[in-house]
Amino acid sequence: MHTETISPLPAKGRQLLVCRGTGCESQKANLIFGALKDEIFKAGLADDYKVKFTGCHGLCQMGPTVIVQPPGTFYCNVAPEDVAEIVKVDLVEGGKVDRLLFIDPQSKERVLTYHEMAYFNPQRRIVLRNCGFINPEDIDDYIEVGGYEGIRRALSLTPLEVIEEVKSSGLRGRGGGGFPTGTKWEFCNKSPGDQKYLICNADEGDPGAFMDRAVLEGDPHSVLEGMMIAGYAIGATKAYIYCRAEYPLAHERSLIAIDQATQRGYLGKGIFGSDFDFEIKVKLGAGAFVCGEETALMASIEGKRGMPMPRPPFPAVKGLFGKPTNINNVETFANIPVILTKGGDWFARVGTEKSKGTKVFALAGKINYSGLVEIPMGTSLRQIVDEIGGGIPNKRKFKAAQTGGPSGGCIPAEHFDIPMDYENLTQVGSIMGSGGLIVTDETTCMVDMAKFFLSFTQKESCGKCVQCRLGTKNMLETLTAISEGKATMEDLDLLLELAQDVKAGSLCGLGQTAPNPVLSTIRYFRDEYEAHILRKECPARVCRSLIKFQVNEAACTMCGSCFKACPVGAITWQKKQPAHIDKEKCIKCRSCILACKFHAID
Amino acid sequence: MPRLIIDEREIEVPPGTKVIDAAERLGILIPRFCYHEGLGAVGACRMCAVQFVEGPVKGLQMSCMVDAQDGMVVSTSHEEAVEFRRFIIECLMLNHPHDCPVCDEGGQCLLQDETVSGGHGLRRYQGKKRTYRDQYLGELIAHEMNRCIHCYRCSRFYQEFSGYRDLGPLQIANRVFYGRFKDGPLESPFSGNLVDICPTGVYTDKPSRYKARRWDLQRTPSVCIHCSLGCNTVANARYREVVRVEARFSGEVNGHFICDRGRFGFPYTNLPGRPRTARTAGGECSQGEAVAAAAEKLREISSTFGPQAVACFGSSRNSLETQCMLKRICRLQGWQVPGFFVDPALERRVRAAVSLLDASAGVSMREVERADCVVAAGVDPVNEAPMLALAMRQAFRRGAEILVADPRPIFLPFPFIHVPVSMERMDSFLEGLARLAGESSDGTGVREADLLSQIVQNGGLASSDLPLPVSFCRALFGSQNPVVLCGTECVRESTLPAAAALARDLRKGRDRAGLLYVLPGANAFGAGLLNSQGHPGFSRLLESVESGSVRALIVTESDPLNDFCHRDRLLGTLGKLDLLVVMDFLDSETARMAHVFLPTTTHFESGSCFVNHEGRLQYAEAVHHGGIPIEQAGGGSHPPRVYRGDIPGEGPKAAWVILAELGRTLGIPDRDLLGLGPWSLIGEEIPSLKRLEGTVFPPEGIRILSDGDPVQWVQGPEARDGEDDRGAVPPGDFFEILLTHWTFGTEELSSRSGPLQKVEKEPYGMMHSDDARVLGFSEGDRIVLSLEGGQIRFRLSVADRMGRGVLVLPRHRKLAWRNIPEMPCFVPRDRIRREDS
Repeated sequence: MHTETISPLPAKGRQLLVCRGTGCESQKANLIFGALKDEIFKAGLADDYKVKFTGCHGLCQMGPTVIVQPPGTFYCNVAPEDVAEIVKVDLVEGGKVDRLLFIDPQSKERVLTYHEMAYFNPQRRIVLRNCGFINPEDIDDYIEVGGYEGIRRALSLTPLEVIEEVKSSGLRGRGGGGFPTGTKWEFCNKSPGDQKYLICNADEGDPGAFMDRAVLEGDPHSVLEGMMIAGYAIGATKAYIYCRAEYPLAHERSLIAIDQATQRGYLGKGIFGSDFDFEIKVKLGAGAFVCGEETALMASIEGKRGMPMPRPPFPAVKGLFGKPTNINNVETFANIPVILTKGGDWFARVGTEKSKGTKVFALAGKINYSGLVEIPMGTSLRQIVDEIGGGIPNKRKFKAAQTGGPSGGCIPAEHFDIPMDYENLTQVGSIMGSGGLIVTDETTCMVDMAKFFLSFTQKESCGKCVQCRLGTKNMLETLTAISEGKATMEDLDLLLELAQDVKAGSLCGLGQTAPNPVLSTIRYFRDEYEAHILRKECPARVCRSLIKFQVNEAACTMCGSCFKACPVGAITWQKKQPAHIDKEKCIKCRSCILACKFHAID
Repeated sequence: MPRLIIDEREIEVPPGTKVIDAAERLGILIPRFCYHEGLGAVGACRMCAVQFVEGPVKGLQMSCMVDAQDGMVVSTSHEEAVEFRRFIIECLMLNHPHDCPVCDEGGQCLLQDETVSGGHGLRRYQGKKRTYRDQYLGELIAHEMNRCIHCYRCSRFYQEFSGYRDLGPLQIANRVFYGRFKDGPLESPFSGNLVDICPTGVYTDKPSRYKARRWDLQRTPSVCIHCSLGCNTVANARYREVVRVEARFSGEVNGHFICDRGRFGFPYTNLPGRPRTARTAGGECSQGEAVAAAAEKLREISSTFGPQAVACFGSSRNSLETQCMLKRICRLQGWQVPGFFVDPALERRVRAAVSLLDASAGVSMREVERADCVVAAGVDPVNEAPMLALAMRQAFRRGAEILVADPRPIFLPFPFIHVPVSMERMDSFLEGLARLAGESSDGTGVREADLLSQIVQNGGLASSDLPLPVSFCRALFGSQNPVVLCGTECVRESTLPAAAALARDLRKGRDRAGLLYVLPGANAFGAGLLNSQGHPGFSRLLESVESGSVRALIVTESDPLNDFCHRDRLLGTLGKLDLLVVMDFLDSETARMAHVFLPTTTHFESGSCFVNHEGRLQYAEAVHHGGIPIEQAGGGSHPPRVYRGDIPGEGPKAAWVILAELGRTLGIPDRDLLGLGPWSLIGEEIPSLKRLEGTVFPPEGIRILSDGDPVQWVQGPEARDGEDDRGAVPPGDFFEILLTHWTFGTEELSSRSGPLQKVEKEPYGMMHSDDARVLGFSEGDRIVLSLEGGQIRFRLSVADRMGRGVLVLPRHRKLAWRNIPEMPCFVPRDRIRREDS
């Protein structure tokens, strides 16, 4: 892994890094942290090792994790009971706890350090540079790795020079829009107003996306620093982090970070000896997806119902409380300090021609290693799935990847080698979005997936525009009819017509993009839709109404997996005999289908 | 000025005009649901989509969201736009119930119109309709959420425009519900506007349910007479009954909306007990016989005791015609000059207000909305003139700073600065503000802090509750268009010129500084215009009756027993009269004492002129010809099965016509009375209005304060002749009693409305919590106030944001406030005690 620390990681002393991001924390990482401190003390190593908790390093699937640094020994799936053994075997005896080491999915061999892991190795970490390595609740840790150098440099420049630096980096908004950040700042800088506001959008609502959470949990100071730089550039003195209430840890760590920065005088009046004043408040969102839309977000901060308003006027002209406002995403802000310290030219060397830098993806779905990955723009989808993500479980075939969450679309296998950047994704009918990446295989029904995303947007519509409020509901009902085999080909046409109407007639991005999963799955997997409609069959065996729960004896290898999987004993099977499903007893839970590797249950 | 082409027709519009409005100027009504001129654009319904063929904006866009720009070519009938709108209609009709035949909105339903015009007829969708559980929203508004098409007009009006929070959208997506957190009456006194703005039948007018279909209604432009603002309304009648009142747009007066007092206050005109037959001592008789009887007695009194033994009395709810005729008859017969107010001090205040309000200062409500700084002195807008509160809120929404100086606890639907200056100190407080304003125009620099402390001192305010922030002073200095509002009900007479002086001082160095007086009654302005020298004042009149020098009293559409404080005295005095003639449409207590009673028509039945607070002469057209409502006359059976040649209950005539008949019977030639016609009559009596003769009456009324040289309409009240100096607080520990109006329950006409009686509050008195503490009272205590006239019992409510030494009582019929001997009234503290249970 290439980690863009601003100054190299401190080599002095040895450290034990315990991940305490939301994923690991939910699996008793707090107990591991406590136990580790106790054991080290008991072993008399308290002076030699510093036990430190960190934010998420990305490989959530293998958590909780403990890293012994150096050399970077990576222990996975650690339980509190394992701590004593780690201390004894690794720290005292100098060996390795083999059973806790990561196993390479290809070679099936144990990997000693994270440097050698296929998951981390191809990644290039700019946004996540500190995540998993520093204590997010300790400002000194951040300063030690070069934190708050960016704002110092920014304050030595004029606001317009800062904007030029950001423009030269080619950084584009990471919240999904992809609008050039420097240009956005410039608008707000030039917009007249006695008071300007800056907002950090941490209302990450896409199902399956958690990049922003990880950054706020793992490296909140880099977001604060990015915001300070942006505030200086546009002339804002007041800023908000709009964080969803479902992220209690991110919220808490943001507050701690703001508190520490304020105590140091990094926030407040005349920061770093300049005449620049800057304060940051955290506003909790109540969890409405639509509040990620900037006008709805501002309404929410103002205490109003979170509903989008038409633009123009753009926030840069008339935003929060009617004042010029600039809104960027967490990930965008986390890039800024690096751009300021290393220079826009340096940043622009990473990525493709029009998409600079890196992108963090939340890898999920039918993949061996789900978690956060940060790759340079232009990395191929194949490399992300096969190499970093360790491929698809059970050696099933890649079918498609969904990017951009409910606003995006799918990338089918024929585009598996697509270099991931803004332009290419748009070209194949998807979007970069905020970075959700859901991998599907042949056991995923595309109608069902479209239905899932549409039911999400349908429920999360604010209810303002007719098309989004009613059109999505009609679409969902049509999709449901298709998945139940009750639809006709005319319904498919109606679905497409509705999709176009909803796209054309909605005010904000939520409605305008809600039909995308439907449109893109129809574009690439029309045959699946037709199978549901014409043959009343779900090829992936997902849509329950269309599954016969019958063993296809020709395909059955008589392995008995289904027999073992059935929770209600509805399957009879004897060696060298095809299995049989008793439909009276069957509860249609699909356990047999998931267990069967040969697709032998219709 | 952008020029654009809409449907092949060119139009030039002011910058900032939305395309939907530009089209409307061409007479092209682009379909819309959420857009409302009064509420602005929100872009929710997607119904106003039009095709932008050429120009800076291209493609299908919402015409309510796009500013008209040069070079635009817009097609409202483009195939794509028509198809798009058809789709919207189809979507909206998915869930809308097919209950048009029984829906109260049927026939006036925007959704109905757009569905038909959009060509949607066949239902393709076979799914279930979403349904809701309706809420009880009080006695005025019926709720039927299944009909909702989610245009957000209701919540935008209720929350954004009018500033109340208890009704709004709940839930999201397809489950959006407009209502309250739980069932209960709506808190806003402007809730009736929901009926007008809802494009379908979610909110309907509850009292008028099942009365009539829209197309069966007689509808005419009318004017509200429940306060001095003169909001424009549409009166709706059916079967000789006024069924409903709706808001009528007026750019200068009320905009698109009216208050609930104006909307639901009309039932006095339909009441079963309304007197419709003339009466003399001998019982019921014809109108002619009663006039003759009155004339004979008047002639007798006149010849015996002289014409000065006859006095007349009108009111501020008289039409201008009636007021003029009253004055004319008095003059021609040599009777006493008529009065219009039972409180002589109030009469003087109204005259002062009318004389001070010249064209350079007087502002309409529209201008209040545009003010950037508002100072209100001695006025409680929500209770005295509700729509003024909405106008002030619009000013607030545009960024105006608003200060209210009033010892009463004031509620307004927006944040404002409340300075509880006592009525006595109000003048010096305003003078202080005027000095502040003067400082700024001198350019000598501002010593805010000094002036501030001076104002606080002058205002008799404790420095501990220094409620006048420097920021307001700064806003007042910096304002371009300040407005001064001043009440007349509770203030001292000297406060009126003080308010005018403040406005005058503010005008220095500015384009404009407005002045607005809230007057007591719909035609108080008219009364002020007519009420010049010669009228002795009501108290003097009573003394004359008591001494026997006045023998006959003609009371025209007025109920002194309702308005006058010292009730027992008035009852006794009226009893001494040889002749009491009462003309009224109300079954008032005074009317019941009359020797001769003559029923009159309401303004719904005979058109009438009223002059509102800003001197705007407006005409309310008759909506029906009078008579007992069929529902009452037919005893519930309809149509009436018995033939009769006349209309039952058609006897009443307009008061000014009856007065003219009385004058004719007394020998005045007809050419001097009815022969004049209303215009000449008004011109004769108010010379300054002579120029209006022959004028075609414009729909927005005539602002009789001319834009040219200020005309001295009326002389201000003459200097006091030492008669009283009652404004001064007596030495010692006294409470000043302030008699106030409430939005519902105190105004003479609307308090007779059944629906409003259901929403009005039980009366209670208010005092400062510190005062209550000293007296050992607490919230909810039953208090007895012992006065010479009798006792007043009320429940106490305490407040922190109000003046000390003040007891605020509403003029509510359930409160014995008429035991107060006279106003202003100061009571020693020991007269106020807690009622032992």
